[in-house]
Amino acid sequence: MKLARLLATATAAALLVGNAFAEDLKTGATPLKIGISLSLTGDFADSGEAAQRGYALWAAQINKAGGILGRQVQVKVVNDASSPDQVVTNYQNLITQDKVDIVFGPFSSLLTIPAARVVKRYGYAFIEPAGGGPKVFEQHLDNLFFVQPTEAVKSGEVFADYILALPMDERPKTAAYAKLDDPFAAPIADSIKARFEAAGIKTVYDQTYPSESADLTPIIAGVAAANPDVLVSGVMASDAFGQVKAMIQLKFNPKWLFMSNGANSPTEFPDKVGAKNTEGVFTSSDWYPGSSIAGSREFIEAYIAMYGGDANGIDSTSAEAYSAGMVLAEAAKRTGTIDNATIIKTLHSGVWPTLVGDLSWDADGAPKGEYLLTQWVNGKLTTVYPANQAQHAPVAPKSNWAE
Amino acid sequence: MHAFIQAVILGVLTGGVYALMASGQTLIFGIMKVINLGQAAFVVLAAYLTFSLFTLTGMDPFVSILITTPILFVIGAAIQWALLRPLRPGDATELSLLVTFAVALGLEGLLAITYNTTFRSIQPGYENFSWTILGYQVNMVRLFAFLLSIAMLGLLYLLLKHTKFGRAIRATVQNPMSAQLLGVNSKMVAAFGFGLGAATAAAAGAVFGLVSPFNPGSHYDLISRLLTIVVLGGLGSIGGSIVAALVMGVGSAVIAALVSPIWSDFSFFVMLLVVLLFRPRGLFGARVRGAL
Repeated sequence: MKLARLLATATAAALLVGNAFAEDLKTGATPLKIGISLSLTGDFADSGEAAQRGYALWAAQINKAGGILGRQVQVKVVNDASSPDQVVTNYQNLITQDKVDIVFGPFSSLLTIPAARVVKRYGYAFIEPAGGGPKVFEQHLDNLFFVQPTEAVKSGEVFADYILALPMDERPKTAAYAKLDDPFAAPIADSIKARFEAAGIKTVYDQTYPSESADLTPIIAGVAAANPDVLVSGVMASDAFGQVKAMIQLKFNPKWLFMSNGANSPTEFPDKVGAKNTEGVFTSSDWYPGSSIAGSREFIEAYIAMYGGDANGIDSTSAEAYSAGMVLAEAAKRTGTIDNATIIKTLHSGVWPTLVGDLSWDADGAPKGEYLLTQWVNGKLTTVYPANQAQHAPVAPKSNWAE
Repeated sequence: MHAFIQAVILGVLTGGVYALMASGQTLIFGIMKVINLGQAAFVVLAAYLTFSLFTLTGMDPFVSILITTPILFVIGAAIQWALLRPLRPGDATELSLLVTFAVALGLEGLLAITYNTTFRSIQPGYENFSWTILGYQVNMVRLFAFLLSIAMLGLLYLLLKHTKFGRAIRATVQNPMSAQLLGVNSKMVAAFGFGLGAATAAAAGAVFGLVSPFNPGSHYDLISRLLTIVVLGGLGSIGGSIVAALVMGVGSAVIAALVSPIWSDFSFFVMLLVVLLFRPRGLFGARVRGAL
């Protein structure tokens, strides 16, 4: 399955290059070379391949539409095997030997951090779809642009916005925070907690558990004993499912339940906790198959035409990678050049439409937007906040577990 | 108080599941002085087999134990025959660590290729059902798992104490040479014993798959728990491993619920250290070699 997918991607990429050359012969314009290092093997292989599909799809689409400034796009992907050392070598080679015109980012913060420094040294813009950890922005690089609505640790802010916008008498009075000890899980809950506490919502439970915690039932027993109105779960994937299962078993049903991850997967979440038990769970998303953002439906159609499958099988990483391409194409369109210095300067102002929303960045490349607040309503992941993008009003209190 | 009692209930039920997993481990050690680092991988393998039987045929996970048990037995016996038997007796204990670890890694790899690395869970529809008894929640699957553990351990006891095969195993444990002289085929007994230990993983795997999401890498966390249970209980003592599993289950659950999840696993290791300081052979460790 994986191999077939890889082959399909490779074939698509080869066709793409082939087409680009054919086009060059006709028009005489040199192709625009874009270099990307991706994790096609190792820990991040699944996500790396998802990013590759997104990039390749974008290139195919843009080439069909005439390329960038009349030049056909040629994507060169090299494998970094999920290694922070290899990624440095890869970008060095792409820039100095392959002499690519543009580079896009790899997968994960771990690889984006060292890669961004190298890319900066050569004065290239670094439009990257998958490095959103705090350390990425602490480097204060002016050439970096993270193509997601906000920093990874702030993805839960939108839930705090929604709760704190409720009239005083409808707001929760007490909150619990059950958090996985992971840089992409616990900090999301902590940032919500800071805002809840400032607004007077009392913390009745706040605990971090290690990733080895196989059984989350005793932890949820502790939460249930504190009986909070709202439970904020700073989770990844398997522990999110574990928390839900434990809540069902202990018959503990908070009025609001927000899960930072896990619940935002359109297929895995219902599969792991049972479709009926998803009802009313809040999470946050940047892109998901039901997204109402302009261009999303066309993206899904093109994706399925190129790779098969169905909309629910599309990883949000593919949409994020695709969005990186959209940012470049738009910058070239607005400035009439693909000169890196001009792109860097241009992207620091204005608003840039992508599949993950309209983006703008601060001086360190951190996006200034917010995720969408999504909730499972009638068995589907649905945008419920902010109101101007909502497909349905937020449903609270949460209905009982179905068992 | 309510939270405390609820945590104790959870701990006892979880402890039962671990007791089942650890009994196979301690049995194998008792018979062959082999520390089987692959035991948890057997459990994960069994969880996947149960998962496949359930998703392909709709077979109930508890029923499928009847099928997975002989499969695991054969796999266990075959691994012993092919990989452990050839080891020279003098090096067997040390080398078996490496061999069984290799088996664990091999199984993990095979499972990752076959099933991918995404988390799976077995969901017959009743997996989250709980009875409310006096205001406490008792999860049905965990209670069944607990009862199943006791039943399996009882069967194991009967097998070892009251059958010819059991006597042959115990004889081999106590003195392999004399057993052989008296006509016990000790090589066969070793393969069967290892198979038996692996077979206990079948029931444990079904239950594990019902209780928690698993992926091919799940065996690392499991094996560290199993080893501590077996060491705390006393290597080779099935009764000891049951007590140790319950102590671990209740201890971790109470601390996770009432103190902090961060300390829950740690506290168990502290307990282990204290016990080993004062009773180096574990709670119920045999003073003489081989008392099962």
